Amino acid sequence: MSLIGASVPRGDAVAKVTGRAVYGVDVRLPGMVHARLLRSPIPAGRIVTLDVDDAWAVDGVLAVCTADDAPPRRTGLAVYDQRLFADDVVRYEGEPIAAVVAETEAAARRALEAIRLELEPWEPVAGPEQALDPATRLVHPHWAEYEVAPGLEFRRHGNVAAEMISDPGDVDAVFARAPFVVEDEYRANRQYQAYLEPKHAVVDYQGGRYTVYVAHQYPFNVRDRLAQILGVAVSRIRVVCPTIGGGFGAKLDVGLEPYAAVLARKVGRPVRIVNDRLEDLLTCTSREDAIVQIRSAVDEDGRILARELTCLMNCGAYAGDMPFLASIPLHLAGSVYRVGTARVEARVLYTNTAPTGAMRGVGGTYLTFAVERHMDHIAAELGMGRRELRLRNLFRDGDRMLTGQVIDQAGTLRQAFDRMEQVAPWAQVTAPRPLHGVGLAALIWLTNPMPGSATLKLNEDGTLGVVTAATENGSGAVAMGLTQIAAEELGLRPSDVVVLAPDTDAAAYDAGSQGSRTTHVVGAAIRKAAAEVRRRIFDVAAEMLEVSVDDLELVDGTVGVVGDPGSRVPLGEVARTATFTTGPIAATGAYRTPMPAHDPTCATGLLFPSFPTPTFHLHLAEVEVDPVTGRIHVVRYVVVQDVGRAINPTGIRGQIQGGVTQGLGYALFEQLDFDGARYRQRSLETYRLPTAVDVPRVEVELIENADPAGPYGAKGVAEPPVVPVAVAVANAVSDAVGAPFDRLPVTPEDVLAALEERRRRP
Amino acid sequence: MDFRRAGTTDEIVSILAEVGPDATLLAGGTDVMVQYLRGEIAPKLLVHIEQVDELAGVDEADGRVDIGALTTHLTLSEDPVIRRTVPGLAEAASQVGGHQTQAVGTVGGNLCNASPAADTAPPLLVADAELRLRSAAGTRTVPLDRFFLGRRHTARRPDEVLTSIAVRPLPSHAGETYLKVGRRGAMEVAIVGLAARLVLDDDGDVVTDARLAVCSMAPRPLRLPDAERLLVGSRGEPEAVAAAADAVQETTEPIDDARARAAYRRRLVPRLLAEAVRLCMRRARGEEESWS
Repeated sequence: MSLIGASVPRGDAVAKVTGRAVYGVDVRLPGMVHARLLRSPIPAGRIVTLDVDDAWAVDGVLAVCTADDAPPRRTGLAVYDQRLFADDVVRYEGEPIAAVVAETEAAARRALEAIRLELEPWEPVAGPEQALDPATRLVHPHWAEYEVAPGLEFRRHGNVAAEMISDPGDVDAVFARAPFVVEDEYRANRQYQAYLEPKHAVVDYQGGRYTVYVAHQYPFNVRDRLAQILGVAVSRIRVVCPTIGGGFGAKLDVGLEPYAAVLARKVGRPVRIVNDRLEDLLTCTSREDAIVQIRSAVDEDGRILARELTCLMNCGAYAGDMPFLASIPLHLAGSVYRVGTARVEARVLYTNTAPTGAMRGVGGTYLTFAVERHMDHIAAELGMGRRELRLRNLFRDGDRMLTGQVIDQAGTLRQAFDRMEQVAPWAQVTAPRPLHGVGLAALIWLTNPMPGSATLKLNEDGTLGVVTAATENGSGAVAMGLTQIAAEELGLRPSDVVVLAPDTDAAAYDAGSQGSRTTHVVGAAIRKAAAEVRRRIFDVAAEMLEVSVDDLELVDGTVGVVGDPGSRVPLGEVARTATFTTGPIAATGAYRTPMPAHDPTCATGLLFPSFPTPTFHLHLAEVEVDPVTGRIHVVRYVVVQDVGRAINPTGIRGQIQGGVTQGLGYALFEQLDFDGARYRQRSLETYRLPTAVDVPRVEVELIENADPAGPYGAKGVAEPPVVPVAVAVANAVSDAVGAPFDRLPVTPEDVLAALEERRRRP
Repeated sequence: MDFRRAGTTDEIVSILAEVGPDATLLAGGTDVMVQYLRGEIAPKLLVHIEQVDELAGVDEADGRVDIGALTTHLTLSEDPVIRRTVPGLAEAASQVGGHQTQAVGTVGGNLCNASPAADTAPPLLVADAELRLRSAAGTRTVPLDRFFLGRRHTARRPDEVLTSIAVRPLPSHAGETYLKVGRRGAMEVAIVGLAARLVLDDDGDVVTDARLAVCSMAPRPLRLPDAERLLVGSRGEPEAVAAAADAVQETTEPIDDARARAAYRRRLVPRLLAEAVRLCMRRARGEEESWS
């Protein structure tokens, strides 16, 4: 029986639920000492005094470190704008100013208190609109001197850290003669990744090499970024990843590793550093807050003729990976629905707030919020049904995105609408009920294409070792996806496949757990490696069984002869024979998804030019609004999702339930906003994550339109379910209340205000 | 910091007599441990009293109900005597924090912590709760509406331990409720909490006695006598409820904080009050189960 499509229980589950799994924060090394960071208490200002002498005198302190004794260079992902420690100027609350390392964490805390820090506070640049104002102080007055990563071209100016502009030139003319123009502005606040395990690192420096123990989504990026920051060769760094307690994008770039590395080298002992929850919340690269303005020209039949979309994205004090994300507005402004021609502008703004960055569904969450709220508005303006308007403009097979990329399987969207109609008939769910509303939202999303590899080695007992730096970020991509693919390829049980935890010394490059790439990309790499392993197995077994390789098959841990059940040899015997005759059986496979073709003249600053391995999604939310408190109850949630091929349906349902849960948090609960440039929410009590009682059981309908290149047709699965949730809910609440909700999160306060406003209207 | 465990009330009293203000009593720990880890309190001595069995449990006698200070929220929400005699308290206890909080958190701790948002305070205020405080000098009784002096500030002296809470059971022809507003369905500090106890005449028609109390609308949980008076003699009609709501607005002083804006809290008052009056009257008339 095939393992592909089988809901095999994941091998790491028992260790996790019984507390036996060893997480990054559990790592302890002999002789290990403890570091803590002195962080800026204000969002903007100048360092007047930084006197660390008394900190050195604290009992148990081994070293104190500031910008003066840290690597001098500015580094980054796209723009080299950030030093390890603030020198002279602080740019966000929580920015590291100094580090101490001591025998105990308590001593390190005492030492921090002994540091004398005087700051001259400046008026912070608080938000993207203020940052854009020419009268505003520059967060980086020397921005023009900063280097940009090799090969990247994009415009920067003043507080604009990156700009992406696409203007085909014919947009204004279409608007000028359009029968209807509909215009909106949408705002979304930040979202904290709020993983269980705070950021941490243990670094050991010995023999000129740094060994980094960190539970991370992208170990090779830790290697590369650490090398960049420290100014050493990548081969001088080894990254070892224990079990990770969640990442959701915040653990793709380096975090605390460089501080531990600098200090470990200084004191010659392994150094551990861990954020407390407040530090983590204040300094985590949360999902950016954004403002999206959107305008559409529409004809009488509801056809969209042209569109204009402008997006301001707040990257905080340093650009991080945000210049890459400035491409997302162009991809989402004109996919799912045909929009004719479109002008799209995206600007990434420096402010005196914590740097933002990738979070599950990067940019898609608020852009889909804008596009799909706007669709409801257009439908209302035209007096047209909301579903009908969507169907009229829906993409079909072969339609092009605004980048010129052709979406071959776009007709899957129509399939998704049809499937949704079967499980939640529109006329039925939208039958008028007081304070009850329904929202729809569709999406085309990508599968991250970046490279990965896997080495398969047949052990001498017939089990399989898999050496890869693909990371199990909790999604099951390794524990279920890759394990099942490897087992299926070689006729093994999943429990006979052992996947090595990531170690950059052992495995070849892997681009980490991001953009749902692991099952798709590394699964494809495993299939390549498995073909070679299978060939070697058959070569050896053919001699052992004295038959032709063409007659052999792999079944239940044996090599058998097709049509002759009596003639078979266990894989362990084959492996032992091979090892001591022709040599051990092992092979490596590598894969990278080719980038789909696009029109390179379509935009400037388009650092992420196309959407590889697209997937298709439709979400439906039903809500009820409490007339007393304005609280929103999501009473039904349905997801129709194209996954290419469901390797493990239970795993996929779990990822969709989780993605929707995170999306409901973004839609309703997870408020992360500012008092000036300081976060108002400073604990997990006021930064409210949804609890089990706030989330309905998500109904999942899978569509399996195979991807020709994916393993068994599998596409990316786990990232996109978070994306359309906020707008499905916001559309439903707007429908229930009869007023537009154009700001995220949608709060009971806003609902009550709207209910009262509605009552006052005649 | 030192740590001691007390096994009896006498032991608690003698430790407090000896150490006084340097000691912090630790029951369920759902507030004390959080405040300690946040550095908000720095006790020299933690006295663990959770296992003093004589301070836990519910006792009904002579028309009064006594609740041991160490009775957990979980017990309060399930106890048949509480559900019959102070159903609003059971309703409130079932909404404190989450399941974990309810399993270890105690009613005495909830009161002594004196959070402006203490969920058990409003239903106890409408039940005329009286607190028994014991010290080496003896036992004194303090009405709950004189116990709260301000945020995290009570009439309990450092040498006293709260031993029990006496409440007046719900009379006949009466209904009560506790309505809590939060963003989530659990793990919420009340944005507003409102308790109401209404007594109707024999016909189930006219309000003969009204008790109202709120939390999260002032530095301490409050009884609302002005609003109560405006409901007495009414039939719960919208005008009377609106007038009572106006009186609540006048006596309270909600603030903007990270949980909600003052404007939202104010907006909630008339709505919650109307809902509470509606529920209490239906329950008083037996048209609806008290709470399930």
